[in-house]
Amino acid sequence: MHNRLFRARGLVFGRYILTIALMLLLNGCGTEKKWQLHDITGHLPDLRFSMRSDAGQPVTDQTYRGYLVMLFFGYTSCQAECPSTLFRLAKIVQGLGDNAKRARILFVTLDPGRDTPQVLHRYVTAFAAGHAIGLTGSESEIAALAKRYRAAFRPGKSETNDITHSAAVYVFDPQGHARLLVTPDDAIAKAANELRHLLETSR
Amino acid sequence: MELLLWLVPWEPSLSVVIVTAVTAMLFVKGCLGCKLFFRQKLFFWTGLLSLYVVSHTQLDYYAEHEFFVHQLKSLVLHHLGPFFIILACPEKALSSGFPIAGKRLLRMVSAWKPVQCLVNVFLHPVAAVIVFVGLIIFWLLPPIHFVAMLDWRIYRLMNWSMAVNGLMFWGLVLDSDSKWSPGSRIAMMLAVVPPQILTGALIFFTPHELYPIYTLCGRAFTGVSSITDQQIGGLILWMNAAMMSVIGILIVIYKELRQPRLILGSTLPTKNST
Repeated sequence: MHNRLFRARGLVFGRYILTIALMLLLNGCGTEKKWQLHDITGHLPDLRFSMRSDAGQPVTDQTYRGYLVMLFFGYTSCQAECPSTLFRLAKIVQGLGDNAKRARILFVTLDPGRDTPQVLHRYVTAFAAGHAIGLTGSESEIAALAKRYRAAFRPGKSETNDITHSAAVYVFDPQGHARLLVTPDDAIAKAANELRHLLETSR
Repeated sequence: MELLLWLVPWEPSLSVVIVTAVTAMLFVKGCLGCKLFFRQKLFFWTGLLSLYVVSHTQLDYYAEHEFFVHQLKSLVLHHLGPFFIILACPEKALSSGFPIAGKRLLRMVSAWKPVQCLVNVFLHPVAAVIVFVGLIIFWLLPPIHFVAMLDWRIYRLMNWSMAVNGLMFWGLVLDSDSKWSPGSRIAMMLAVVPPQILTGALIFFTPHELYPIYTLCGRAFTGVSSITDQQIGGLILWMNAAMMSVIGILIVIYKELRQPRLILGSTLPTKNST
């Protein structure tokens, strides 16, 4: 009796193992491409915001539907990271070739007090005219967007010139899904290649 | 006013509120029914409040954006919070505060074969040690940690798994009515020390950034460099491992020495009660 019970339990246990193994196997088959950049597909929410552009117009995520969006947070008085990231992004956009017209860089200011739309406009067009857009809004709107993408931001700290900000660039596909992270360590050519592939596969 | 703002949850979670509130209510109700020592109440509230504070206030922002704060939060979730709750021996109060229907449901669930199997497996000393240490290491594996800090669902799973596992482990080793001998319970606490020290030391001595997610999403404190942050985080794991186990072992030894002289064996004697 005990033996039979034991065997029955063993059988059930075996079936569990088999199911898990099968699931793992199917999962393994499902992945098409191994991205060279950090793949964040499914881990962060879709692009959603409602802010003001550097032209002073209200814009939402819908404005950029159909574009590959590179979103990042910074401020114009930033000494090192922000200019270098914008410079790198401008190079990456150049590297996209014909696809460049389908890509947009969204620079969200973390210092809305000082970064007026005019200041933002002058700043982003100096790097990538036609491709980069500065975004601003109320402090709570900016804080909500930063929180949505887990970027560090504490409102009310802009006077101290000690604004913490994220180094990552969040890449969204033309459908608005969060797909990749571009980090400061990624080579420009590699990132451009990956983004071109993303654009071509999500046509 | 400033202080009240700190209490606003960074990531509001209904489940944390419900579980904390229900546990608190059960305990308060149970306290009315059975007599508890002051220190039991003190331990219980310290444990429950510390768990709540690290998971449902603005502190969570810093835990998400600074590795060493994350390590402090894990210390509370996995070690200190559950440790204090278990130290209070709240089972009697909690169960007397439980409604009859709830008790019946609990009995029914615990009589169910698969549940019993699971409990037997997870509360076996060897399995408990492996799961306790394994969970710490698993969530600290760089690729896993990366996703856990990015995806709020996985982040919550991490927090919940740490707290629940902490309660299970410390409940197993500090319970003086346990079916396992004090020797094996002490051995369990000793067994979890070396892997934690090793993991902490490994993090401390790694010269490059193991957890770039904090740089990518931004650090809460601009003055702390990524390597310093990582080293403090490693040190926290390194030291708290030995610390918690030593305290636990001392408590078990003390309880065992006091056992024959105790009239009611269910409560923890300390120097104040003599």
